[in-house]
Amino acid sequence: MSKSITVKEKYPPGDFAIWIIIYVELITFALLFLGYAFSRRGDVELFNESQLMLSQTSGFINTFILITSSYFVVKAVKSIKSMTQENYKEFNLKASKWLLFAIMCGVAFLIIKITEFSHIFGEGINLSTNKFFMFYILLTGFHFMHVLLGSVILFNIYQKTKVFGYLPNDYSGFETGASYWHMVDLLWIILFPLIYIIR
Amino acid sequence: MKRTIEIIWVILVILTTFAYVIGYLKYINTSLVAILLLTTFIKAQLVIEYFMDLKNVKLKYRLIPLVWLSVTISLIAVAYYLPIST
Repeated sequence: MSKSITVKEKYPPGDFAIWIIIYVELITFALLFLGYAFSRRGDVELFNESQLMLSQTSGFINTFILITSSYFVVKAVKSIKSMTQENYKEFNLKASKWLLFAIMCGVAFLIIKITEFSHIFGEGINLSTNKFFMFYILLTGFHFMHVLLGSVILFNIYQKTKVFGYLPNDYSGFETGASYWHMVDLLWIILFPLIYIIR
Repeated sequence: MKRTIEIIWVILVILTTFAYVIGYLKYINTSLVAILLLTTFIKAQLVIEYFMDLKNVKLKYRLIPLVWLSVTISLIAVAYYLPIST
């Protein structure tokens, strides 16, 4: 019977520089989350009433989409990590298929968010309407830019897999892009209940 | 386990649906805020460990996001539970 032994990796997956960026992004968003939570204490009723104007359903669908896209990216990384010199073309194509699903999810997220923004702005709401909407527009708008950038990164990786650009000893760039995408998912996982649900 | 990632995805979807249903029914009370924050912590930690694949890296690299998550969720809880002086 074979025993599987888990060997601890020295560094997180991907280029180490991306982890510096990820940690900085996490801290920046944490400050915004806490800014929202503590500002809410100044006028709980206003925050609760304003929150009711948001579509919790679109927030939920977007959470589902991002979780699923992250799952597709994990599958793509697993494919790329499984390749050998003999089958690297086949596994590049396999990874590209998973990435395409993830990119489609990213685009779906952006479309839903644009629809939500156009509804909110159509109601005459803007950054100066009140503190709740200031935080809502800042947090979700800032996150939107990250999803947009993440989708572009995934698309670049996708294009490289289509020309069999990743090799068994050279796929760090792939993992770097994947780590960034998971960060985008991680931030939304906190943002969704905080802005849309908890009151 | 072969299907670990699929199981993690299912757990994430179930916990997200739970939060949505609670929010949709507008059935939020004080203890539910704590439960929602706890489920958020669990979901985020699952993403960090299994999706970002930090479960097999050295402890110091796992601790950074864990500390970040714990501090953020704890301070959000403080903001919601600390009595508001009028």
